Amino acid sequence: MNWFREILSVALGGLTARKVRTLLIMLGPVLGAAGIVAAVGLNESAKGDVRQTLEKLGTNLIVASADGTFSGGQAPTLPEEAVERAMNVSTVDRAAGITEIGSLTVLPSQGGRDFFRTIPVPVLTSDQNLLDVLDAKMLYGRFINGADEDNVFRSAVIGQDLASDYQYLPGEARTIDVNGETYGVVGVLEKVALVPKLDTAVIIPKSSAEEDFDIEQKPTTLYARALEGTVDSTSEALPVAINLGGSEGVVVAIPSDLLEAQGAVDTTLRNILFLMGGLALLVGGVGIANVMSISVIQRSGEIGIRRALGHTKVTIAMQFVLEALFVGVLGGLAGVLAGVGVIYLVSAVLGWVATLNLPLFLVAGGMALIVSIIAGLYPALKAARLEPLETLRLG
Amino acid sequence: MNTSGVSQPNLNAASRKNLFRLRDVYRIYGQEPVAVHALDGVSLDIHAGDFMAIIGPSGSGKSTLLGLLGCLDLPTKGSIKVDQTEITDLEDSERSKLRGNSIGFVFQQFHLIPHLTALGNVSTALLYRELTKPEIKERSLAALEMVGLGERHDHRPIEMSGGEQQRVAIARALVTDPLMILADEPTGALDTKTATIVMEIFKNLQSENRAIVLVTHDLEIAEQMDRVVSMRDGKIVADDLRSERTDALEDRFWEAGKGGKLE
Repeated sequence: MNWFREILSVALGGLTARKVRTLLIMLGPVLGAAGIVAAVGLNESAKGDVRQTLEKLGTNLIVASADGTFSGGQAPTLPEEAVERAMNVSTVDRAAGITEIGSLTVLPSQGGRDFFRTIPVPVLTSDQNLLDVLDAKMLYGRFINGADEDNVFRSAVIGQDLASDYQYLPGEARTIDVNGETYGVVGVLEKVALVPKLDTAVIIPKSSAEEDFDIEQKPTTLYARALEGTVDSTSEALPVAINLGGSEGVVVAIPSDLLEAQGAVDTTLRNILFLMGGLALLVGGVGIANVMSISVIQRSGEIGIRRALGHTKVTIAMQFVLEALFVGVLGGLAGVLAGVGVIYLVSAVLGWVATLNLPLFLVAGGMALIVSIIAGLYPALKAARLEPLETLRLG
Repeated sequence: MNTSGVSQPNLNAASRKNLFRLRDVYRIYGQEPVAVHALDGVSLDIHAGDFMAIIGPSGSGKSTLLGLLGCLDLPTKGSIKVDQTEITDLEDSERSKLRGNSIGFVFQQFHLIPHLTALGNVSTALLYRELTKPEIKERSLAALEMVGLGERHDHRPIEMSGGEQQRVAIARALVTDPLMILADEPTGALDTKTATIVMEIFKNLQSENRAIVLVTHDLEIAEQMDRVVSMRDGKIVADDLRSERTDALEDRFWEAGKGGKLE
């Protein structure tokens, strides 16, 4: 133990005596580890916002809709009792349906009629618990409620993008023209990431829709939240439950799957970036071997005198391997920190969500350490093989 | 002059411990027909208490002999025993340990480690010996005190004069209490006044338990030694004791170096 402590102290002394050289050697593992951490980290951070959204929305929303292949021009519909039937599935936590009303023209009440006529705006009715099922929020105002339904009020809730298109000001009392009928806008719905079509839609009470447009109250789409961990089994059970006896005519989708796919890190790209970081580390390793080899030549006098004083080849080699090990540990740590710094900096500038991958830090730091030790082996052996007679120039 | 073939002139040598024993030592560099016979059948005994110089012209084999005495090299043929241990039978690591324990080196160019203080340089000789830090420090400081540099133990080589650096090197050589201090031109890089101081230190280090061997070109230095071994063409040609010197050493030297070139 004493032996190891002494050799450790000699190695540290060798490093601290030549600070600039030590820093130069350390550049290799620093850049390599920083390269790996930053390259992979940035790749993950670029997708961080998508993944963060997904975490917020959850991955248990299932969308069931009527298969449109048999219904001709009319929007295909689910059975009228679809929501009740869906709730019979024990793993369904909550469910709500919407009914899309086709072929309606929507216009902002004032101005620009001709221009807005060309933009298709979906008009739909929904169950009152739609927000709860979608985990959606109102940007301002309120959603369609019982009073609207009971009193056949012409009230409307519109999506955030539509409000923006129509240049509605927050809180402004506005009306909207739905196929010639004027509806009062009672609220604007915040963006619904999992159901983007709601962002441009107009939602009106079922009672008003029936009266104004004479439609059937059969849902065209049903949204259901499955209990945690039952998404797959629920999505299998749902079509059967809705259609009672057969799954034909009902298709299910899990919208978070798409987001998940968008948010998934491109493994090929990540591997390429990782490889490039590794390459930087390898180049750094060659640098270590190079600078340390020169150092061995410069310090041949010191090595010779140590050998003359009785230090064995093993202790000389250990001294240099330990120097490389210190370089690897410190360089690896500094590299990981530098990589994290780069991730935060770039994420801040580009508006990404900085994503840190802890196991990657261990891999990058560990690789820096291993490369440093391997790179230090050659100069260490070279130092150990130096003959003291040749370096001391006797006589 | 000894005539037995073994260089062992000391009259009372039998009463003193034989520290180094070289028998028929050859050191040949390269292969025949271009081989260089640097040492050509040298036999030599060095006893505890010897205070000797090895002299000879350039190419006489002094440096080769120094390397072998210092266990830094191995002979091509022959036997070298250090305190009963045959060094040609030893592994490199065992030879290193024997060297560390038995021999203290002093070099012409001091060979101090530049980033270490005087104390650090002396302590380097005591590393890897299972000594505690305080023990190492205590012994190193004592060695520096012996050469008159106790006060300057925290100075680096660059902050010291040549003479002081050589005294640090001497302290480093004696801190392990070796059987032999082997000095290679120890005054070669010093001015006359400083050289005198260094020689005084060597004289004070004489002990019945150790030998001091100086390799030198300087006849004035050799004159101060008790025993002078002269070399030529890889052979020992004279081995004189101060008490036996009837002729001037210089004549011996020139005779020994005939045909050779003095540096």
